[in-house]
Amino acid sequence: MNTKIFSLIVGVLSVILFWIGWVSLNPSDEKAMARFISVEKLVNNEISSRTKLGGIVKKGSIQISKINQLDCVFVLKEGSAELVVNYSKTRPDLFKDGAEVIVTGEYRNGIFVADELQTKCASRYEGDLREESNYKLEELEI
Amino acid sequence: MTPIAGGVALNLALGCSVLTILALLVYNRTLDHRLFLLGQRLGLAISFFVFISTFILGYQLFTSNFDIDYVARYTSYETPNIFKISALWAGQSGSLLFWLFILSIFNTITIIQNQDRHLNLMPWVIITMSVIQLFFLILTNFITNPFEPTQADFIVQNGNGLNPLLQNITMAIHPPTLYLGYVGFSVPFAFAFSALVNKDIGALWIRSIRRWTLVAWLFLSVGIILGGWWAYQELGWGGYWAWDPVENASFMPWLTATAFLHSIIVQEKKDMLRVWNMVLIILTFSLCIFGTFLTRSGVMSSVHSFTESSLGPVFLSFVFIILASSFGLMFSRMKVLKSPRKIESVSSRESGFLFNNLIFVVMCFGVFWGTLFPVITEAVNGNKISVGPPFFNQINIPIGLALLALTGIGPMLAWKGTSNDKLVQNFIFPIAFGLLTALVLIILKLTVYTVISFSLCIFVVVAISSEFIKGVRVRKNKFNESIFISLFKMIKKNRSRYGGYIVHLGIVLMFIGFTGHAFDKEKEFGIQIGQTEKVANYNFELIRMYEQERSNHYAWITDLRVTDISGNFVTNLRPEKRVYFHKNPDVNKRQPHSELDIYSTFNKDIYSIFSSVSSDNSTAFVKIMINPLVKWVWIGGYVLAFGTIIALWPRKD
Repeated sequence: MNTKIFSLIVGVLSVILFWIGWVSLNPSDEKAMARFISVEKLVNNEISSRTKLGGIVKKGSIQISKINQLDCVFVLKEGSAELVVNYSKTRPDLFKDGAEVIVTGEYRNGIFVADELQTKCASRYEGDLREESNYKLEELEI
Repeated sequence: MTPIAGGVALNLALGCSVLTILALLVYNRTLDHRLFLLGQRLGLAISFFVFISTFILGYQLFTSNFDIDYVARYTSYETPNIFKISALWAGQSGSLLFWLFILSIFNTITIIQNQDRHLNLMPWVIITMSVIQLFFLILTNFITNPFEPTQADFIVQNGNGLNPLLQNITMAIHPPTLYLGYVGFSVPFAFAFSALVNKDIGALWIRSIRRWTLVAWLFLSVGIILGGWWAYQELGWGGYWAWDPVENASFMPWLTATAFLHSIIVQEKKDMLRVWNMVLIILTFSLCIFGTFLTRSGVMSSVHSFTESSLGPVFLSFVFIILASSFGLMFSRMKVLKSPRKIESVSSRESGFLFNNLIFVVMCFGVFWGTLFPVITEAVNGNKISVGPPFFNQINIPIGLALLALTGIGPMLAWKGTSNDKLVQNFIFPIAFGLLTALVLIILKLTVYTVISFSLCIFVVVAISSEFIKGVRVRKNKFNESIFISLFKMIKKNRSRYGGYIVHLGIVLMFIGFTGHAFDKEKEFGIQIGQTEKVANYNFELIRMYEQERSNHYAWITDLRVTDISGNFVTNLRPEKRVYFHKNPDVNKRQPHSELDIYSTFNKDIYSIFSSVSSDNSTAFVKIMINPLVKWVWIGGYVLAFGTIIALWPRKD
């Protein structure tokens, strides 16, 4: 390989690798990265930067605004820690009491304002058949 | 009884795979031809038993035998027949058996096709493929057996049913197509491994696998595009690519495979880049297995991660074994591998191929880096950082644009080197048209990336068209043929070259679609019957809301009348909110699902989602998205597939 081509290869490689490194450290969009932390850590440290939280939707906590059905408040539970979450976009189909969710957004004045809400797929597809039994399962009478 | 036969067939396949490997290893020492024949037949027997077990599982799914755990989990009586078959790849153990099934088809074709050819390469080709089969047979026999009986001390009267998201015809086709691609690369990998073992490094092994590589690449490409199509129609977020870890898992081998497809041309024509080609095929196959690891391990949260299982370490170990053995072997053969010829000029076609390869591989590294960034940061400083689409877009848009430029530059370079006069002659028109487009778009005040992308698209279209025009002109003058006859005969005579150019045109069309994303608009709103809401240049009037009970779900339907800004009727959109398992008395077991409605034209899609309805049934909450140029992504996909088929089409001689 001649030197000219070799230098060009090294040049192109350096530029692209520098670009990947630079973007990793300085992403231009605030939604490019989010820290995944626990609800407890967020509440105790009052972290206001963009974060990602995971947990369960507390049973009976979902409140949907009567004026705007898109506006929703619920309590996210992770272990014993709880946090009020506000979400005002179209909710995923699997969002309901007890659903496992991941929310992304910012913590403001005691409320987590989420702009992303993901639900994990229903456990019914992998769980124990008896626990996840549906209406047509019948016990054998022995 | 039949399910037991399925399990026994898997046991027998496992036994045959061990015997195949042993017979051929002994053959390599003794060169007793009877052992080679035995190895060949045992190799075919593995596939035979895998076919039997797959058909048995398919039959059990079709006939709803809920005594099998897998059948009870993924189907129910209500599941439509077509989706009962697609349930074969809906769950973990079934999808691994399906993988094995496809691998066995390829294995059978390879053995039959090469019964009397490549006799020096075939023993190690069969050994390598049998080892891959053995790995999947160990998984399906001992770790996740699809024939496990239902672990219940009660009668299972009906199964869980298939996830509604998967009850879509595209979803029935997307995974098998992707698997055909993933698994297809095991054949070129097996030939490469065999070439290394046999020190048979020249252009022979490349020639024998070129067609296989193209077939696998075609399926992988179509599989990825179908996945995007499914996401666009089913997931309801208005996009087709989210840089989800599992999407990335299919994109990474596609990038290295595309690089490989280009660089084998250089080895075939010039006997250069031998080491590089080995690296690429090893990486491609390893990334295919790594992709399965990402999907099946649960290490990444993803829309595809329906399972979290203990398979992760097993897959990772297999990837490690592939990488260590292949690269170890490659380094031990370095002296033989070194190509005697060198690239002479920067402006040569081989140099163009080299740079396109470089960019493909670095892009693959960028995607790999972003996909594993959360795992890496957690390992380094304990902080888990989640990486979103803007990160991938920021990294990959400039790299992708550089690749787009190369799809036009490459074909205009000559082998060995291009003279300055020829460079000017070849590039003047494409550059002029590209610059003219840029000027117009700058005046229209479009963003920088949009201007660059559209201008490069025009540049490439003009560059490739000029290649076609030049070829047709030469034939027309030489043979006195009409333009269409010349075009047809020219393509027929040089299928791989012009097929490749058509693929490049397909890529351009897809880029036009990607760029349209910059103009997307969306709005979420509540609307009552008779009210009208404006989104971009369209008005949406809610005509009515109604309900319908269907065989496997209950649906609430909104009827939206769409008119343009002048009041002209455009279409009626009827997005639905469905509830699957709606007869279940336990409300928590019912599963809601949004079925979108899309009005698609060449310049834009109007995408509608019915989010919810107010408790008094008076207000529908709807999301509307106006997505320009999306259709070109799918059209580009068709063109890409068409071009690849032309390149693949066998010649009579």
